[in-house]
Amino acid sequence: MTNTDTLLEKFIEKAKDVQTICIKTDKEAFKNILKEKNFAFVSLNTPFKSFNKECEFDESGIKDAIVNADFAIAETGTLVVDSTEEKIRLATTLAENLSLVIYASNMVAKLENIVSYMNDKNSADNAYIAFITGASRTADIERVLTIGVHGPVSLTCYIIEDL
Amino acid sequence: MKIKQEVKKKLNDKVLYTNLKNFASNYKVSRQNALTGLDFFKLRNDIYKSKDFSKEEIIALFEEFKQHVEKSGCTVLHAEDALTANKLITEICKKHNAEYIVKSKSMTSEEIKLNHYLEKQGLKPIETDLGEWILQIAGEHPSHMVMPAIHKTRQQVAKIFEKHTGEKINPDDIDKMVKIARKYLREYYFKAAVGITGANVAVASSGTIGIVTNEGNARLSSTVPPVHIVLVGYEKLVKNFSDAMKIIRLLPKSATGQNISTYVTWIKGSNPSFKSDTGNKHTYYIFLDNGRLSFFEHPFLKDALKCIRCGSCANVCPAYEMVGGHVFGDIYIGAIGLILTSMLHDEKKAKEILSLCIGCKACSFNCPAGIDLQSIISDLNVYMGKKYSVNPVKKFIYSAVMKNPAVFKTAMKTASFLQKPMLDETKENIKNIPYIPKEHNFRKLPSIKTKTFSELFTEKKFGEFKSSKKVFFYPGCAVEYFFPDMGVSMVEVLQKTGYQVDIPKAQVCCGLPAIHAGDGESGKKTILKNIKHMGNPDDYEAFLVLCPSCGMAIKEDFKKYTLDYIAEFKKSEKIGKKVMSFANFLKINNIRFQNEDDKKYTYHTPCHQGRGLGFVPEEFLKETFGENFIPLKDSDVCCGFGGSFSVDYPGISAGILDKKIENIINTKADCLLTDCPGCVMQIDGGLKQKGVNVKVKHLSEVLSNLKIQKK
Repeated sequence: MTNTDTLLEKFIEKAKDVQTICIKTDKEAFKNILKEKNFAFVSLNTPFKSFNKECEFDESGIKDAIVNADFAIAETGTLVVDSTEEKIRLATTLAENLSLVIYASNMVAKLENIVSYMNDKNSADNAYIAFITGASRTADIERVLTIGVHGPVSLTCYIIEDL
Repeated sequence: MKIKQEVKKKLNDKVLYTNLKNFASNYKVSRQNALTGLDFFKLRNDIYKSKDFSKEEIIALFEEFKQHVEKSGCTVLHAEDALTANKLITEICKKHNAEYIVKSKSMTSEEIKLNHYLEKQGLKPIETDLGEWILQIAGEHPSHMVMPAIHKTRQQVAKIFEKHTGEKINPDDIDKMVKIARKYLREYYFKAAVGITGANVAVASSGTIGIVTNEGNARLSSTVPPVHIVLVGYEKLVKNFSDAMKIIRLLPKSATGQNISTYVTWIKGSNPSFKSDTGNKHTYYIFLDNGRLSFFEHPFLKDALKCIRCGSCANVCPAYEMVGGHVFGDIYIGAIGLILTSMLHDEKKAKEILSLCIGCKACSFNCPAGIDLQSIISDLNVYMGKKYSVNPVKKFIYSAVMKNPAVFKTAMKTASFLQKPMLDETKENIKNIPYIPKEHNFRKLPSIKTKTFSELFTEKKFGEFKSSKKVFFYPGCAVEYFFPDMGVSMVEVLQKTGYQVDIPKAQVCCGLPAIHAGDGESGKKTILKNIKHMGNPDDYEAFLVLCPSCGMAIKEDFKKYTLDYIAEFKKSEKIGKKVMSFANFLKINNIRFQNEDDKKYTYHTPCHQGRGLGFVPEEFLKETFGENFIPLKDSDVCCGFGGSFSVDYPGISAGILDKKIENIINTKADCLLTDCPGCVMQIDGGLKQKGVNVKVKHLSEVLSNLKIQKK
């Protein structure tokens, strides 16, 4: 097994620990998923740019949204999303169901592996980077874990196997 | 005394008891899972080192941070104290015509009582963290730094929500309650002109803050409104992202046992905002001093500024588990709360709550920033003792009795005579003490023996056994007066294996009780006298103790309290290196035992055994007792003794003991072994009082009856 395969498996294991739904796919199959799902908000890079779609943001929220994640961190099952653009920030916080897309080649082992990315992004005048690990949750009432408090009630991660 | 009444009230709060007990139990398991495969002690040492700043260094980091975000058009302000911070925040809110303000959870805003101030100015701050919101609408304040409403039941929350929203709420449907909060709070993000958040880290190298949340409310609070105010203490500054990641790795694992929090949000500068008149956020940073900056120069309080606010010192504190954060702390809670109250809030309040520390060191051991919280509390106790005087009865005992071997012995002899009519038929325990308040009666106390250990040592001619292999044994007060048999048993084992055992010429207390009670001066005098009676460290292979608390005092406090005395300091250093528990000595010298009975044994780890002397004999016990050794759940959790703590707070002591007894009963063992006469006193006394038929023995007493196998 290659190092990347091990990272991928570790990531999936950790992501599942926090109820993230992981779906392995490839570029072509993923295009079909995008057609089928018809997300309310889509902001993806090439080659999926043609699916991009915007929507209204208000307190009624949005049904679902899908955006790119730049990196995935295996040790914690975390997805790293550059949310500097306001619509991405709003979509990822207000969507009932959030989907993130990651290339298998962008898996890293540890939090420290993200440091150079953070340095790079934060060398600009402003930046808003989110580490997202699962759907929004709380255990503030009697320590009972409850999913979906202020943010998304579900998190799906599409992993595009590009290796 | 007000605090004793508050303690009593909390001890009767069944909801609090159950919630905290369940949480503590689950927390330990999840934390352990989250830390699997990681070197916790290395990682926390990295955090400690990365946060070790002088005042000049922290100011330099602030300047660096400020320069970065000002470039992006943000405003950075210094607030010298709470009032200044409140005023600055109010001005900003008014400037932006805010009516509603959404807040994400921030202990720093609790510290300055921000909501109270804003409300007085006619503003409407809305807490968006679920726990904080529950408390805000109930008019209460947090009882835990990470889980603010941990003292509330679902039924209570349902009532609070019903009253606030007018909706009928099923108290068993927590999911529904969470949805109500979601729906209810969502509109305020859009109504609010200002969002206020704290920061878990502030990265100087780029001017980025990192916020850790699970609910996603900090993301909404920092995104939807056009204005963002960040209220942050200077101590949150770190050099760079590498250092920040270290904190992000350990903070959630320590706080809730999560591998990582759902959201770690990194925000730099003035991000785009369609609701803003300029198209970009108006971002303000309020750096709060409130005394912090001066403490970067303080010899023993400086370390408290390394705290990353995970709350784990509360999660593992047995006394907190009994009374909760409304008593165990003030604004900040847990061990760090006792300390921060002294630093940032009311010193008199701090003096009271400092007495709630039982001294078990669980907090120091679990702190992800490597802060020796218990040692700071101990130093603070000494400071408070000096400033506000120690309880006069205690002061008399520590300064006039315990320090002076002849007087102490006379007092104990007199007591052993006077106790005669109160003894039970075995003469081992005191039957009942007249006029004692009922709450003190949760354990049977041991009798003071008619012959001290030193007297038995002479009577049995132990001193005549000479050998080239020598150890020095420091019996301590408990073995000397209450449990001389423990000492006799140990000497017998050692002599059988060829060791000469020497003991002090006169028995002096180790000094720990005086220090813990805040009487540093008596502690110091006691220690100096004690060192005089200790043998020459070069002559001995080891300095043995049967009481790990004495051992820890010898190891740590002897050095600390002899800093002004060169010869004594040197001797302390040498002795400290050789001090160890009996079982540790047996282990390193390959002395093993063969047990032939078929009784079941379990083991309670004394606090200062594992966390003071750094040795747990679990492996040794498995070798000796094989399958008859049954591990005890939460073996290393305090038994509730804590010396005079159990007299000052009998209710807390008894409550902690009850949990220990429950775990002991669950092992179905015939005999509980331990390594500390204090723990024997507490646990044996408790079991006897409850009529539970489990023997409690010091390890030395059981080993002396077994066949020795020298490997």
